[in-house]
Amino acid sequence: MSGSKRSDSALTMRPPPMTAESGLIISTSFSVSGFGKRWTHCHQLANYLARYASANENDPERTSTLLSTFFNELIEAIYRNHARRGLIQITFERRHDKVCVKAEVPVDEESRRFYERTVELAQHPELMRWYRERLEREISEEDAGALGIVELTVVYGAQIAIEHIQRTDVEGSRSLHLWVEFPFAELDEV
Amino acid sequence: MSVSVVPDSHVPPSSSSDGASWRSSVSFNIRVSEQEQQVSFTGMLRPFVAEHMKAIRSTLETAARNATGELQLDFKRLKYMNSVAFLEINRFIRWVVGVRPGLKIVLIISSVIPWAIRKFQVIAEIYPNVSVVVYDKSLYPIQQVIEDEDFINVLRTQEKIVWEVERKIISRHGLRPGMRVADIACGLGDFVLRVQKEFNPEYIIGVDHSRAFLRHAQSHAKSLGIENIEYQYGDAAALLLPDDSFDFVTCRLALQVFHMPEQMVQELYRICRPGGRVYITNEMMSCVTGYPDQALIRHGYDRFLELSRMVGMDFDIGVRTMKILKNAGLEEIKGDLIGIDNMNSDRAYFAKVVESWIVSSGDVARSAEADPKVHEHIAAGLRAHVEAILGDGGYASWPIYAGSGRKPVRP
Repeated sequence: MSGSKRSDSALTMRPPPMTAESGLIISTSFSVSGFGKRWTHCHQLANYLARYASANENDPERTSTLLSTFFNELIEAIYRNHARRGLIQITFERRHDKVCVKAEVPVDEESRRFYERTVELAQHPELMRWYRERLEREISEEDAGALGIVELTVVYGAQIAIEHIQRTDVEGSRSLHLWVEFPFAELDEV
Repeated sequence: MSVSVVPDSHVPPSSSSDGASWRSSVSFNIRVSEQEQQVSFTGMLRPFVAEHMKAIRSTLETAARNATGELQLDFKRLKYMNSVAFLEINRFIRWVVGVRPGLKIVLIISSVIPWAIRKFQVIAEIYPNVSVVVYDKSLYPIQQVIEDEDFINVLRTQEKIVWEVERKIISRHGLRPGMRVADIACGLGDFVLRVQKEFNPEYIIGVDHSRAFLRHAQSHAKSLGIENIEYQYGDAAALLLPDDSFDFVTCRLALQVFHMPEQMVQELYRICRPGGRVYITNEMMSCVTGYPDQALIRHGYDRFLELSRMVGMDFDIGVRTMKILKNAGLEEIKGDLIGIDNMNSDRAYFAKVVESWIVSSGDVARSAEADPKVHEHIAAGLRAHVEAILGDGGYASWPIYAGSGRKPVRP
């Protein structure tokens, strides 16, 4: 077995300017067509953004490992569910002990339904029971697709919401806003 | 047995024709030890679809079929895993429950990987034959002893008297200004602060497995207004730091308290860049001496040494320093003695350090359930050492071996 670890976290002594306890961390915007070309874009983006967001934390590596796990599930869901064209915009904000992510995703009918259903599931009154049942037996493709985001809520305590944007672009596609609030503080004191 | 995962023809629907583009999302290693009945995962597991885990699933099923009693799935070095991979691991466990109902599955995780505990705990709650073990809960035998607040003050004193001597030899081992430095098992971070102050490194990080120590280190650095030090919670035997990334890697007075020092040195080697140096220091308890009552002092330290070995520590590992460095593959090996004695150190500080060992050896003896007489002998010897330190005409030494080696530059 090789224990080799290639760098996915650039070590630098030049962190971004100190972030306030609340405020913008980073905002990013990219085209659906470019993003959708490679699956690896998901983890590359997740790792980069997580590292950036963690740069001024006491233990940046630990924080970025956790945030990358969170961001990656969100970004993977977007990768799988978006309209054919448009711009994805993701904004990361710090609000005390939380990271709030606002993702604007161009959607078609199918992907819109996916997000609506996923958010509905994440607000299920007996979410843990629902989640355990999905693990106990073979899961439908539909539920499997939603599971990554649902896990953020049921396992890690993230909050999720959706907002439709009324405006349409020239080709008539619509966008929606996905809000996810991740816990920033230490999760697992052993 | 080692398995590498080769992507099949399934590519993401919106992807281009680059069929291997998802490969780095499952850049990991899986190792099966039939003897230990263990499957170990390393790296990152973020496949696009479960189909991409076919080879892994097949390896797991073979391991489960061959295992008797218990199969361990070791995730302690798996840094990332997405929900697709998690679902597939869950499917495998459900399969085991069906076909091998008597087989126990142990999921080994590390507290260093922050997402792992909550996620795997759910699986352990669902299946009665599955349990979760946090392998590094007590990574080294005296972690709780040395995290005690009183002992923390002693550690600061110890660090101070060691540094007074060590600072004179450390440049000979290659530490220079402007380097990228990693101090593994940094403890309270005092060494990191001193290197930051006196050697102005380009980058410096301290890694430790004690959250209590890291909190002290962070608040101490903050109180001094120093911001450009990174501290990281980590396991010295499985660091999250990338390969070949530091000019100078240090591990001071720490190999002696871990039960797997060679594995730690391998990690120091891995993170050191080719041409960089790995620097370690360790005690040589068999060489501690004092006058008067030399026989009593030696007897006490010999018992202390025996006790430490009972709990997997080796306070005499310093004498093996050259061999350890050489076996790790390092070259241009250098050795030095950090010879602390009651003539080159503050006597009161030195005595305070030895007195603290009387207390900590008592804690170790209790945790090892050793015969109470063992600690009585240790305490008698160490008290004689304290008297030798403080007494007029007395002599007392505490030798520490400092060694370093260069990581070869391969063409």
